[in-house]
Amino acid sequence: MINSQEAGAALMEIESLSRLVRQSVFYRHASTMLILWGVATFIGYLLSFFAPAAAPVIWSVVIVAGVICATIIGALNKKREGVSTFDARATAAFTAFVAFGCLWSIVFGNMAPRQIGAFWTTYFMLPYVMTGFWFGRVFVVIGMSVIALTLLGYFFAGPWFTLWMAVVNGGGLLLGGLWMRRS
Amino acid sequence: MAELDDIIHQPLRLKIMAALNALHPAQGLDFPRLKKLTGATDGNLGAHIETLAKAGYVSVEKAFVGKKPQTTVTATATGRGAFARHVATLREIIATAEGK
Repeated sequence: MINSQEAGAALMEIESLSRLVRQSVFYRHASTMLILWGVATFIGYLLSFFAPAAAPVIWSVVIVAGVICATIIGALNKKREGVSTFDARATAAFTAFVAFGCLWSIVFGNMAPRQIGAFWTTYFMLPYVMTGFWFGRVFVVIGMSVIALTLLGYFFAGPWFTLWMAVVNGGGLLLGGLWMRRS
Repeated sequence: MAELDDIIHQPLRLKIMAALNALHPAQGLDFPRLKKLTGATDGNLGAHIETLAKAGYVSVEKAFVGKKPQTTVTATATGRGAFARHVATLREIIATAEGK
Protein backbone atom coordinates (compact mmCIF):
# COMPACT_ATOMS: atom_id res chain seq x y z
CA MET A 1 0.00 0.00 0.00
CA ILE A 2 1.21 3.51 -0.73
CA ASN A 3 1.18 6.53 1.60
CA SER A 4 -1.04 9.60 1.23
CA GLN A 5 1.68 11.69 -0.43
CA GLU A 6 2.17 9.09 -3.15
CA ALA A 7 -1.60 8.84 -3.56
CA GLY A 8 -1.81 12.62 -3.88
CA ALA A 9 0.97 12.65 -6.48
CA ALA A 10 -0.81 9.93 -8.48
CA LEU A 11 -4.09 11.90 -8.40
CA MET A 12 -2.29 15.05 -9.53
CA GLU A 13 -0.70 13.12 -12.39
CA ILE A 14 -4.14 11.82 -13.43
CA GLU A 15 -5.66 15.31 -13.28
CA SER A 16 -2.80 16.86 -15.24
CA LEU A 17 -2.96 14.23 -17.99
CA SER A 18 -6.77 14.42 -18.21
CA ARG A 19 -6.53 18.18 -18.74
CA LEU A 20 -3.87 17.69 -21.40
CA VAL A 21 -5.99 15.11 -23.26
CA ARG A 22 -9.14 17.24 -23.17
CA GLN A 23 -7.14 20.20 -24.48
CA SER A 24 -5.55 18.06 -27.19
CA VAL A 25 -8.96 16.80 -28.39
CA PHE A 26 -10.39 20.32 -28.31
CA TYR A 27 -7.40 21.65 -30.28
CA ARG A 28 -7.79 18.93 -32.90
CA HIS A 29 -11.45 19.75 -33.55
CA ALA A 30 -10.96 23.50 -33.23
CA SER A 31 -8.01 23.48 -35.65
CA THR A 32 -10.23 22.09 -38.42
CA MET A 33 -12.71 24.91 -37.84
CA LEU A 34 -9.93 27.52 -37.76
CA ILE A 35 -8.54 26.27 -41.08
CA LEU A 36 -12.04 26.21 -42.61
CA TRP A 37 -12.84 29.78 -41.52
CA GLY A 38 -9.34 30.93 -42.43
CA VAL A 39 -9.82 29.76 -46.02
CA ALA A 40 -13.39 31.14 -46.15
CA THR A 41 -12.32 34.52 -44.79
CA PHE A 42 -9.34 34.72 -47.16
CA ILE A 43 -11.61 34.02 -50.16
CA GLY A 44 -14.23 36.49 -48.89
CA TYR A 45 -11.78 39.37 -48.53
CA LEU A 46 -9.96 38.57 -51.75
CA LEU A 47 -13.19 38.59 -53.78
CA SER A 48 -14.36 41.73 -51.96
CA PHE A 49 -11.11 43.47 -52.92
CA PHE A 50 -11.68 42.82 -56.62
CA ALA A 51 -15.48 43.35 -56.52
CA PRO A 52 -16.22 45.73 -53.61
CA ALA A 53 -19.78 46.41 -54.79
CA ALA A 54 -20.63 42.73 -54.50
CA ALA A 55 -19.18 42.42 -50.95
CA PRO A 56 -22.56 41.91 -49.19
CA VAL A 57 -23.44 39.04 -51.55
CA ILE A 58 -19.91 37.57 -51.34
CA TRP A 59 -19.96 37.55 -47.53
CA SER A 60 -23.47 36.10 -47.36
CA VAL A 61 -22.34 33.21 -49.59
CA VAL A 62 -19.07 32.77 -47.66
CA ILE A 63 -20.84 32.62 -44.28
CA VAL A 64 -23.57 30.22 -45.47
CA ALA A 65 -20.97 27.98 -47.19
CA GLY A 66 -18.80 28.09 -44.03
CA VAL A 67 -21.69 27.06 -41.78
CA ILE A 68 -22.64 24.21 -44.16
CA CYS A 69 -19.02 22.96 -44.26
CA ALA A 70 -18.72 23.24 -40.47
CA THR A 71 -21.91 21.20 -40.07
CA ILE A 72 -20.60 18.54 -42.48
CA ILE A 73 -17.25 18.38 -40.63
CA GLY A 74 -19.14 18.04 -37.33
CA ALA A 75 -21.24 15.20 -38.76
CA LEU A 76 -18.11 13.42 -40.06
CA ASN A 77 -16.45 13.78 -36.65
CA LYS A 78 -19.53 12.32 -35.02
CA LYS A 79 -19.52 9.37 -37.42
CA ARG A 80 -15.77 8.75 -36.95
CA GLU A 81 -15.47 9.28 -33.20
CA GLY A 82 -18.99 8.85 -31.90
CA VAL A 83 -19.09 12.31 -30.35
CA SER A 84 -20.75 15.44 -31.60
CA THR A 85 -18.55 18.51 -31.97
CA PHE A 86 -20.95 20.84 -33.75
CA ASP A 87 -24.30 20.29 -32.07
CA ALA A 88 -27.57 22.22 -31.94
CA ARG A 89 -26.34 24.39 -29.06
CA ALA A 90 -23.24 25.40 -31.02
CA THR A 91 -25.40 26.24 -34.04
CA ALA A 92 -27.81 28.28 -31.88
CA ALA A 93 -24.92 30.11 -30.20
CA PHE A 94 -23.33 30.90 -33.57
CA THR A 95 -26.68 32.12 -34.98
CA ALA A 96 -27.26 34.37 -31.95
CA PHE A 97 -23.72 35.71 -32.24
CA VAL A 98 -24.10 36.55 -35.95
CA ALA A 99 -27.60 38.00 -35.40
CA PHE A 100 -26.26 40.32 -32.69
CA GLY A 101 -23.48 41.44 -35.01
CA CYS A 102 -25.94 42.09 -37.87
CA LEU A 103 -28.25 44.03 -35.55
CA TRP A 104 -25.55 46.49 -34.53
CA SER A 105 -23.52 46.66 -37.74
CA ILE A 106 -26.36 46.77 -40.27
CA VAL A 107 -29.66 47.71 -38.57
CA PHE A 108 -28.57 50.25 -35.94
CA GLY A 109 -25.06 51.06 -37.09
CA ASN A 110 -24.32 53.23 -40.08
CA MET A 111 -20.93 51.80 -40.88
CA ALA A 112 -18.77 52.29 -43.95
CA PRO A 113 -17.51 49.06 -45.64
CA ARG A 114 -14.09 49.55 -44.05
CA GLN A 115 -15.64 49.86 -40.59
CA ILE A 116 -17.82 46.79 -41.20
CA GLY A 117 -14.70 44.80 -42.15
CA ALA A 118 -12.88 45.86 -39.01
CA PHE A 119 -15.98 45.36 -36.84
CA TRP A 120 -16.70 41.76 -37.95
CA THR A 121 -13.09 40.68 -37.64
CA THR A 122 -12.59 42.10 -34.15
CA TYR A 123 -16.07 40.86 -33.16
CA PHE A 124 -15.28 37.30 -34.32
CA MET A 125 -11.95 37.38 -32.49
CA LEU A 126 -13.65 38.24 -29.19
CA PRO A 127 -14.91 34.66 -28.53
CA TYR A 128 -11.48 33.31 -29.54
CA VAL A 129 -9.86 35.43 -26.85
CA MET A 130 -12.51 34.49 -24.27
CA THR A 131 -12.30 30.78 -25.19
CA GLY A 132 -8.57 30.99 -24.62
CA PHE A 133 -9.09 31.87 -20.95
CA TRP A 134 -10.47 28.34 -20.46
CA PHE A 135 -9.03 26.19 -23.23
CA GLY A 136 -5.53 27.42 -24.02
CA ARG A 137 -3.46 30.53 -24.45
CA VAL A 138 -3.05 29.91 -28.17
CA PHE A 139 -6.61 31.23 -28.72
CA VAL A 140 -5.79 34.41 -26.81
CA VAL A 141 -2.62 34.88 -28.88
CA ILE A 142 -4.43 34.28 -32.19
CA GLY A 143 -7.38 36.53 -31.25
CA MET A 144 -5.29 39.40 -29.89
CA SER A 145 -2.84 39.25 -32.81
CA VAL A 146 -5.60 39.38 -35.43
CA ILE A 147 -7.35 42.24 -33.58
CA ALA A 148 -4.09 44.22 -33.33
CA LEU A 149 -3.23 43.65 -37.02
CA THR A 150 -6.80 44.53 -38.03
CA LEU A 151 -6.58 47.88 -36.21
CA LEU A 152 -3.14 48.47 -37.72
CA GLY A 153 -4.58 47.87 -41.21
CA TYR A 154 -7.69 49.94 -40.48
CA PHE A 155 -5.63 53.01 -39.67
CA PHE A 156 -2.59 52.56 -41.92
CA ALA A 157 -3.32 50.19 -44.86
CA GLY A 158 -5.14 52.82 -46.91
CA PRO A 159 -6.76 51.38 -50.08
CA TRP A 160 -5.14 47.98 -49.45
CA PHE A 161 -7.18 47.35 -46.32
CA THR A 162 -9.33 44.56 -47.81
CA LEU A 163 -6.28 42.76 -49.18
CA TRP A 164 -4.51 43.30 -45.85
CA MET A 165 -7.49 41.66 -44.10
CA ALA A 166 -7.38 38.67 -46.46
CA VAL A 167 -3.79 38.02 -45.37
CA VAL A 168 -4.11 39.01 -41.71
CA ASN A 169 -7.52 37.54 -40.91
CA GLY A 170 -7.68 34.60 -43.31
CA GLY A 171 -3.96 33.83 -43.05
CA GLY A 172 -3.94 34.30 -39.27
CA LEU A 173 -6.74 31.80 -38.73
CA LEU A 174 -5.20 29.37 -41.21
CA LEU A 175 -1.75 29.50 -39.59
CA GLY A 176 -3.30 29.26 -36.11
CA GLY A 177 -5.24 26.16 -37.16
CA LEU A 178 -2.18 24.51 -38.69
CA TRP A 179 -0.10 25.28 -35.61
CA MET A 180 -2.78 23.77 -33.35
CA ARG A 181 -2.89 20.64 -35.50
CA ARG A 182 0.83 20.15 -34.94
CA SER A 183 0.75 20.76 -31.17
CA MET B 1 -9.98 -0.19 2.50
CA ALA B 2 -10.01 -1.45 -1.10
CA GLU B 3 -6.72 -2.54 -2.63
CA LEU B 4 -5.02 -0.55 -5.36
CA ASP B 5 -5.19 -2.12 -8.81
CA ASP B 6 -1.68 -3.52 -9.43
CA ILE B 7 -2.08 -3.37 -13.20
CA ILE B 8 -3.10 0.30 -13.23
CA HIS B 9 -0.78 1.39 -10.43
CA GLN B 10 2.40 1.15 -12.56
CA PRO B 11 3.26 4.80 -13.48
CA LEU B 12 3.12 4.51 -17.27
CA ARG B 13 -0.02 2.35 -17.23
CA LEU B 14 -1.61 4.90 -14.87
CA LYS B 15 -0.82 7.61 -17.43
CA ILE B 16 -2.25 5.54 -20.29
CA MET B 17 -5.47 4.82 -18.38
CA ALA B 18 -5.77 8.46 -17.22
CA ALA B 19 -5.42 9.66 -20.82
CA LEU B 20 -7.95 7.19 -22.21
CA ASN B 21 -10.43 7.83 -19.40
CA ALA B 22 -10.46 11.54 -20.15
CA LEU B 23 -12.08 10.75 -23.50
CA HIS B 24 -15.64 9.92 -24.45
CA PRO B 25 -16.13 6.10 -24.13
CA ALA B 26 -16.38 5.78 -27.92
CA GLN B 27 -13.12 7.66 -28.48
CA GLY B 28 -9.62 6.24 -28.50
CA LEU B 29 -6.12 7.61 -28.94
CA ASP B 30 -3.75 6.66 -31.71
CA PHE B 31 -0.30 5.38 -30.79
CA PRO B 32 1.74 8.53 -31.67
CA ARG B 33 -0.62 10.78 -29.71
CA LEU B 34 -0.55 8.46 -26.71
CA LYS B 35 3.25 8.35 -26.95
CA LYS B 36 3.43 12.15 -26.99
CA LEU B 37 1.02 12.52 -24.06
CA THR B 38 2.73 9.96 -21.84
CA GLY B 39 6.30 10.74 -22.88
CA ALA B 40 7.01 7.01 -23.31
CA THR B 41 9.23 5.27 -25.85
CA ASP B 42 7.71 3.07 -28.59
CA GLY B 43 8.80 -0.23 -27.03
CA ASN B 44 7.84 0.71 -23.48
CA LEU B 45 4.44 2.01 -24.50
CA GLY B 46 3.71 -1.05 -26.64
CA ALA B 47 4.60 -3.43 -23.79
CA HIS B 48 2.38 -1.64 -21.27
CA ILE B 49 -0.53 -1.38 -23.69
CA GLU B 50 -0.23 -5.13 -24.17
CA THR B 51 -0.40 -5.67 -20.39
CA LEU B 52 -3.52 -3.51 -20.18
CA ALA B 53 -5.07 -5.30 -23.18
CA LYS B 54 -4.41 -8.72 -21.62
CA ALA B 55 -6.24 -7.55 -18.48
CA GLY B 56 -9.17 -6.44 -20.66
CA TYR B 57 -8.71 -2.80 -19.67
CA VAL B 58 -8.07 -1.49 -23.18
CA SER B 59 -8.90 -2.60 -26.69
CA VAL B 60 -6.37 -2.22 -29.49
CA GLU B 61 -7.54 -1.68 -33.03
CA LYS B 62 -5.16 -1.79 -35.97
CA ALA B 63 -6.24 -0.31 -39.26
CA PHE B 64 -4.84 1.34 -42.35
CA VAL B 65 -5.44 5.04 -42.91
CA GLY B 66 -4.54 5.43 -46.56
CA LYS B 67 -1.32 3.40 -46.77
CA LYS B 68 -0.28 4.11 -43.19
CA PRO B 69 -0.94 1.57 -40.42
CA GLN B 70 -2.69 3.15 -37.43
CA THR B 71 -3.07 1.65 -33.97
CA THR B 72 -5.87 3.05 -31.84
CA VAL B 73 -6.17 2.28 -28.13
CA THR B 74 -9.53 2.66 -26.35
CA ALA B 75 -10.44 2.09 -22.70
CA THR B 76 -13.00 -0.72 -22.29
CA ALA B 77 -15.92 -0.60 -19.84
CA THR B 78 -13.95 -2.99 -17.60
CA GLY B 79 -10.93 -0.69 -17.77
CA ARG B 80 -12.99 2.39 -16.98
CA GLY B 81 -14.53 0.62 -13.97
CA ALA B 82 -11.12 -0.53 -12.71
CA PHE B 83 -9.69 2.98 -13.18
CA ALA B 84 -12.62 4.55 -11.28
CA ARG B 85 -12.09 2.10 -8.40
CA HIS B 86 -8.34 2.82 -8.42
CA VAL B 87 -8.95 6.58 -8.23
CA ALA B 88 -11.50 6.05 -5.42
CA THR B 89 -8.91 4.03 -3.48
CA LEU B 90 -6.29 6.78 -3.96
CA ARG B 91 -8.78 9.31 -2.57
CA GLU B 92 -9.60 6.98 0.30
CA ILE B 93 -5.89 6.72 1.22
CA ILE B 94 -5.65 10.51 1.39
CA ALA B 95 -8.89 10.83 3.36
CA THR B 96 -7.76 8.18 5.86
CA ALA B 97 -4.41 9.94 6.34
CA GLU B 98 -6.23 13.22 6.94
CA GLY B 99 -8.45 11.47 9.49
CA LYS B 100 -11.71 12.08 7.64
